[in-house]
Amino acid sequence: MKEESPKGHLHPVTSVIREICLIFDRMGFSVATGPELEDEFHNFDALNVPPDHPARDMQDTFWVKTKAGEPRKVLRTHTSSVQIRYMESIAKNPKPFKIIIPGKVFRNEATDTTHEAQFYQLEGLYVNRSVSMAELKGTLERFFKEFLGPETKVRFRSSYFGFVEPGIEVDVTWKGKWLEMLGAGLVHPEVIRAAGLDPKIWKGFAFGMGLDRLVMLRYGVDDIRHLYSGDLRLINQF
Amino acid sequence: MKVSYNWLQTYFDKKLPSPEKLGELLNEHAFELEGLEKTGNDAVLDLKVLPDRAHYALSHKGVASEAAAVTGLSLKPRSLASVPVDASVENVEVRVEDQKLCPRYVARRIDGVHVGDSPKWLKEGLEAIGQRSINSIVDALNFVMFDIGQPLHAFDAEKIKGAIAVRKAKKGEKITLLDGREVELLESDLLIADDEGPLVIAGVKGGKRAEVTSSTRSIIIESANFNPTAVRRTSTRANLRNDSSKRFENEITPSLAGEAMEQVTALILGLSKGAKAGAVTDSYPHPVKSWTVEIDPTYIDAVAGLSLTPKEIKSILTSLSCRVEEKGGAFLVTPPLERLDLRIPEDFADEVGRLHGYDRLQSVETPTIVHVPEDRTFYWSEKAKDALVRLGFSETLLYTLVPKGAFEISYPLASDKSALRERISPKLIESLAMNIRNADLLGLETIKIFEIGRIFPKTGEKTSLALGVALARKKKGVTAESCMKEALTALASALGVTVDGKIETTPHGSVVEIDFDAIIAKLPEKQSLEGITLVPLAKDLRYKPFSPYPYIVRDIAFFTPSGTNAAEVTSFMKEAAHTSAGSLLIKGPSLFDTFEKDGKVSYAFRMIFQSFERTLSDDEANSVMESVYGAVKSKGWHVR
Repeated sequence: MKEESPKGHLHPVTSVIREICLIFDRMGFSVATGPELEDEFHNFDALNVPPDHPARDMQDTFWVKTKAGEPRKVLRTHTSSVQIRYMESIAKNPKPFKIIIPGKVFRNEATDTTHEAQFYQLEGLYVNRSVSMAELKGTLERFFKEFLGPETKVRFRSSYFGFVEPGIEVDVTWKGKWLEMLGAGLVHPEVIRAAGLDPKIWKGFAFGMGLDRLVMLRYGVDDIRHLYSGDLRLINQF
Repeated sequence: MKVSYNWLQTYFDKKLPSPEKLGELLNEHAFELEGLEKTGNDAVLDLKVLPDRAHYALSHKGVASEAAAVTGLSLKPRSLASVPVDASVENVEVRVEDQKLCPRYVARRIDGVHVGDSPKWLKEGLEAIGQRSINSIVDALNFVMFDIGQPLHAFDAEKIKGAIAVRKAKKGEKITLLDGREVELLESDLLIADDEGPLVIAGVKGGKRAEVTSSTRSIIIESANFNPTAVRRTSTRANLRNDSSKRFENEITPSLAGEAMEQVTALILGLSKGAKAGAVTDSYPHPVKSWTVEIDPTYIDAVAGLSLTPKEIKSILTSLSCRVEEKGGAFLVTPPLERLDLRIPEDFADEVGRLHGYDRLQSVETPTIVHVPEDRTFYWSEKAKDALVRLGFSETLLYTLVPKGAFEISYPLASDKSALRERISPKLIESLAMNIRNADLLGLETIKIFEIGRIFPKTGEKTSLALGVALARKKKGVTAESCMKEALTALASALGVTVDGKIETTPHGSVVEIDFDAIIAKLPEKQSLEGITLVPLAKDLRYKPFSPYPYIVRDIAFFTPSGTNAAEVTSFMKEAAHTSAGSLLIKGPSLFDTFEKDGKVSYAFRMIFQSFERTLSDDEANSVMESVYGAVKSKGWHVR
């Protein structure tokens, strides 16, 4: 047998995360992370998704058992919980910041070739004294042009996520078609308040997208489950 | 929410744009259009109404208000005339015991009704949006719910004993529902009851006892408002989510209850010749008042980023039936009562942005600000990955959910996914075992894998680094342990701290798992991602799916006369193998051994066969090989 190639392979999800982080790095964003096992406050309440609100149905949650007397926990359903944690961490001495948050998230749903109980998201948050939708568009447009190619177009559509207002869905052109790619908006004043900042002073924009579908579309991966089975027949192709 | 185009048209004097055009406009400015279906002379738009717009838009009226805003057409004025009341019809006695859970309860008796088939227009309207016609009374109630968004209920008046009470359930109370199902009630559930007991689970589902049947002659109609949280808790617990509970759960304005009562009464009187309506009983201690939000149009414009004049902003808000008064430079905006979603200036910014069109947004760059430090866990994890990949390790991202662990899932999907992993190693060993079986296919002598990820031991979440090595075949001077030691040394030099771990040997290979948080704790904070080597994947890289079936490895070795060119032999073999095996040849032929003996040169090639459709049999592989042997022999080469 020939000498094996001495180099190993990064997982394609890691490669895509790196590529995206480096593009945002050039726009002044730094990477932030947070726990995967979250409390309800950071995953829901602080994000303006109150208990018993229909918006909680939008995400099927894995609840994790805790000891009697301890508040129950969840496997985070989105990386948005890290937005709250980051704002809390600077609340005593707030300054403008731009962060990008890659990470593993979980949804309690049946799995098939396009759905998994675990997958990866990437979230962005920019906080300053004045922030506009036009800046959100400028940021996302530049990102997608660098990531997908200079001909890429970006379109905003009205939508709803409890933690932003206005809330939008972002479509981008992909091989001649519009593709729903990301949710975004201006950070809801209640979210800024819940994280300990004054919403009269501090404004922000946030966006979040799933990475698995992006990896699958870009490289033609036919089954999301192959990404997490530790199978080098997939990993070593990247 | 399914919306009938013809139904929507009844809200307008002028002709709406075509269903396609209207769908497109709504999709762009208001709701995602999930489907558009033509049925007979109607069309049905399936609109995704998200929770913020569900206060008003789970109705044709609500969608019509959006249609007016996106098309610029005016809504037809609606007559709010009350129906004639007949003093001979008894008043309904209502006692609301919990006004917090039931802010409004409107009831009215109608005598002399005929419960029969609905007229064609009513049946068709309901059927268009996927509702089955039941009888003229139930259809009238449903029609009003889908028209203006207020759920309604009707009782057979003769079957009610005493006054109607809106109260919490008593301990041990049960109700038999319309479908015959019996539900045990909790003391937190809100009920509609009479002297005999429960009649309806408030806002959720009617009971059997006072059901309207074909022999019903007198009915009592309920048009009420219930607390969203209470309805949601009960409907979720009893597994009774339906069109009624869905509307209450999303909160609707109590003002709707009065309007709905007038509309449904008029409809029933129209359907039942000779029916007589009594006066309404309206328990509404705290009528809702309109609210006014002060907004600064320049702030709205700055947020929306659209460069709109105050006049343009005012005209957009007016198109949504908001009342706008100017005060100094500010606007005092009073939204319609059903628009419970319009509370803060940002809500209005969203209305302005979406209706003007986010496609008209300019792109603006964010200002340059001080770069904040990089996350240490991320930076050093990536740094470690670089070092490991350079040594031939491949990265896995394995499942967090496993069969057993200190943290258990409350309602697991499957028994093998019922807890959070306490370590990465067990799954990493499984991965070694799987990959070693495919070593030939992968062209690897050694399987080297790693993962850096979160684990959840009893003490709580932490970051862990796990390495796994398995040898496919023996190699002089190489053991799994030696590969592992080499990796730990490389990690230590990449990170600049000592990295040590206990190597575990298993039948499938060796693993080591290290507390990565402890390592990171010793490392400095970084101001940029510099130093992480990006391995950019080619944009045109295409993944090739692999077959789920087993593969077969076959070798061939033969002697050729001295001086035969290796390149020539290889190219001949490629041709021969492809011709013989076709698509079954998935790897090779690859030359893996050459030697000279007695003036002859020996070449050995390896081929891997596999099918995408089935498990290949030995016979199939043998027959391919026979044909390859034949080709080799035809060259006069001697197969060994």
